[in-house]
Amino acid sequence: MSRPLSLSDLDLPRRNGELAFDAPWQSTVFALTAAVVDFAFGGDREPFRQQLIKAIAAEPGRPYWESWTAALEALVQTLPERRTTHALTKRDRKCHGLGVPDPPSSSRPGISSITR
Amino acid sequence: MSEGAHHPAPVSPVEQRVAALEALLTERGLVPGGFIEEITRRYESQIGPMNGAKVVARAWADPGYKQRLLADGTAAIAELGFGGPEGDHMVVVENSTAVHNVIVCTLCSCYPWPTLGLPPAWYKDPPYRARMVREPRALLAEMGCPLPGEVQIRVWDSSAEVRYLVLPQRPPGTEDMTGAELAGLVTRDSMIGVARL
Repeated sequence: MSRPLSLSDLDLPRRNGELAFDAPWQSTVFALTAAVVDFAFGGDREPFRQQLIKAIAAEPGRPYWESWTAALEALVQTLPERRTTHALTKRDRKCHGLGVPDPPSSSRPGISSITR
Repeated sequence: MSEGAHHPAPVSPVEQRVAALEALLTERGLVPGGFIEEITRRYESQIGPMNGAKVVARAWADPGYKQRLLADGTAAIAELGFGGPEGDHMVVVENSTAVHNVIVCTLCSCYPWPTLGLPPAWYKDPPYRARMVREPRALLAEMGCPLPGEVQIRVWDSSAEVRYLVLPQRPPGTEDMTGAELAGLVTRDSMIGVARL
């Protein structure tokens, strides 16, 4: 049986590959997508995946992160205005397990049941 | 729209579009303060192939864990603390002397983020996505992974939900290594299946 491993046992992921992002706008559009998936789609990645498949098929030679950007633009167009008004419930925040602070306690009670 | 007005460097069209998206989504209350920085930090420094390497090393060293990993990849990977987006339905496929596994996403770029991080550029490019299905043996050879003719190649195309991770063969002569030493042998490419150890 091996002993438990810790993060410090190994180098950062880039040792095994390449940088995750080549430019700040790429990490921004990646994180914006995570936000939309988590907070507007309840963690369901499939709607974005379908848009990404369409964007890549539409212009196969386009740089990857530009197709990703086009996919997010298309996904945002499908967002009903009213859904986003219920964003950032405590439950939604757990999708990425982030330690993002909760909204102010003055926010509407029962909001999580609306987005259930 | 004029946030970039004071930037000394010219802003590319795609940067402008991303800035517009950020402004729109922030205004609609979908981007908590610090969210972009936190996600970026995670995927640049915490989530990557070193996580998958720990899974593989544990499977090599612990037969009970390996059994659980092959039976229910998601649960066994979660035992080591890894999970999240693109890792909800993990299937681990084991290499042997007779069978070599390799993963691809023919339609876009599906990839097991919690164990491998974000995919490398070539994984997302059309040649890899098309050729790994059509002519895997030739492409693997071109990528530095020639396989004997008798080795069967299994290509796993990520479907809507399932994400695959290749369990490479344990190299000979590693019986006395610690878990950390074993993990240090495991490369990202071996867990995609475009390299053998």
